[in-house]
Amino acid sequence: MLLLEVRDLSVTIGPLQPLDRIAFTLDKGSILGLVGESGSGKSLTAMALMGLLPLIGGRVSQGSVRFAGTELVGLEETRYRALRGRRIALITQNPMTSLDPMLRVGAQIDQVGMLHRGLTAAAARQRSIELLDQLRIPDATTVHGQYPHQMSGGMKQRVVIAMALAGDPELIIADEPTTALDVTIQAQIIQLLVDLVRQRGLALVLITHDMGVVAQACDGVVVLYAGRVAESNSVDAVFAAPAHPYTQALIACIPRSGQASGSLRGIPGIVPSVAGYSSGCRYHPRCSLAQARCQTEAPTLQARGSHRVACHFAGTQGSPNG
Amino acid sequence: MADAQSTTPSAAAAPLVRTQGLTRVFTSRGSLLGRQRSLTAVSDVDLDIPRGQVTGVVGESGCGKSTLARLVLRLLDASSGTVSFDGTDLAGVSASGLRALRRRMQMVFQDPYSSIDPRYSVRDAVLEPLQVQGVRLQAADRRDKVESLMAMVGLNPALADSFPHQLSGGQKQRVGIARALALQPEFLVLDEPTASLDVSIQAQIIALLEELQRDLGLTYLFISHDLGLVRYFCNRIVVMYLGRVVEILPEPLATVRHPYTRALMDSTFEPDPRRRRVVTLLRGEIPDAFKLPAGCAYAARCPRASARCESERPLLIDAPAATAGHRLACHHPLEP
Repeated sequence: MLLLEVRDLSVTIGPLQPLDRIAFTLDKGSILGLVGESGSGKSLTAMALMGLLPLIGGRVSQGSVRFAGTELVGLEETRYRALRGRRIALITQNPMTSLDPMLRVGAQIDQVGMLHRGLTAAAARQRSIELLDQLRIPDATTVHGQYPHQMSGGMKQRVVIAMALAGDPELIIADEPTTALDVTIQAQIIQLLVDLVRQRGLALVLITHDMGVVAQACDGVVVLYAGRVAESNSVDAVFAAPAHPYTQALIACIPRSGQASGSLRGIPGIVPSVAGYSSGCRYHPRCSLAQARCQTEAPTLQARGSHRVACHFAGTQGSPNG
Repeated sequence: MADAQSTTPSAAAAPLVRTQGLTRVFTSRGSLLGRQRSLTAVSDVDLDIPRGQVTGVVGESGCGKSTLARLVLRLLDASSGTVSFDGTDLAGVSASGLRALRRRMQMVFQDPYSSIDPRYSVRDAVLEPLQVQGVRLQAADRRDKVESLMAMVGLNPALADSFPHQLSGGQKQRVGIARALALQPEFLVLDEPTASLDVSIQAQIIALLEELQRDLGLTYLFISHDLGLVRYFCNRIVVMYLGRVVEILPEPLATVRHPYTRALMDSTFEPDPRRRRVVTLLRGEIPDAFKLPAGCAYAARCPRASARCESERPLLIDAPAATAGHRLACHHPLEP
């Protein structure tokens, strides 16, 4: 069942347009990976969905975000506030941007339940401890009474996830939720999020720069490059036959088990800054397949079934990264 | 790297670096009124680093891998145990002798610019190691040296007058590598050189390091938290957990026997949806390094742990029924 539909979403900040006609859909009970390098517009997309653009002086200049039948673009702030934390929750990369260092973590989770779900203090506390326990936190009652500084990074991120769940949301947006954590903890947190989506019928937008995370955890994927969608489809289809040279290159950045040494390449160059976008296809300066046409003519996002790709030479297998 | 892998018997017999019983204890006061506490960051590590090869050390935060890196270069002094470099015991070397040895062994840091003056241009940063070593060059030779080092690490020489804030993360790391190569060392310690980079840039840097290793015949000690990357890049893999070596894999694709190495392997995110794995959710976390248990440090998180594991620490021994050089510290290893 369709929960979120983003169409032609463009965002401007002053004279700059860092997001250009982003489009994707997300069903209930599924996980969408939003992937790309730093500077590709992933976090800005999250802010646009959360209605937080005014905080950074940005605004939606065109397009639509429909969440469970409600248009979010242009929604009054008071109504947005009723959605945020309640029906749509955000998990950020650094748990300390979400936690107050001066308050016991339990009180912070309780607040969400009291504010968004009208629970009494006692009911909120009981619910918070249940959530912590479901997130595999040992001795949840003790942890409920601790301060953030008494916890490891992985534990803090679990607390932030508990806060996100306390409002009983339908949609969670997780922006690089495990980047700062140790690898075994990272795998645990991703698995927890996947289990939550499956068990509760939530929907999750998982923002990452790592195609390995996408392959392991997501149902669908949207590859962003320099503020535009390069390619999107189901994860299985994209990994079986990546059509955009950028998608191919991103996948090839992560060594596979048994990959011969000397065969890893990376992507030459870096993502341009929003003030320095090139004409034509924005990926052409780094692309192994680029021709003269790519320098002048921006490829449009072509749809075939569930597949979307923006490349004049889509489907051509380049040498992975050129 | 095929050449690097075929070790001659003499090279295998004389590793470039050898540590024996290497241990480092840090002491700290827990709080204002707290009593002094001590933490053994690296405990009793015996390690050979063969010439012309890439030895990987993998583990999570607090496993002692960065402390080990610093001990091996004697940027830190050992509490006990020895490090020898090409047959010389580093503990017995004078300050001037150590400075001479440092020409032969260099380090690449995770964030090279946290250790470089932000007012240094790329040129200044690349030449600094030469100045420290008292190498005097004519102006023209200096220019050539900067240009050749920059070319070697894939930097456009036009960037020589740029400052750190004008460079991307990948470019800064290339400068860090150029600095490390300035004195033409034999041995590089690479301490998580790609941990703060995007995967696309990480792959560029790893490709560069592979090329340099092959072309210059360098010996690397590569420190990382990423077992997938280490298995790709390294000839031998040393797995550490809370200060101790728990397993040594003599080749990157050797069958893993320690449950912790298995957990690290299950935690890598392979870019292939056909090979999805379900991670077993664990309740335990990495224990406090100040309060290590008497037995195996991994027992609290280990699915195979028995009462014996909690009381008796397993020693690092030759793994049963395994390739020579496969070492293991576990009472209940996984089947080969």
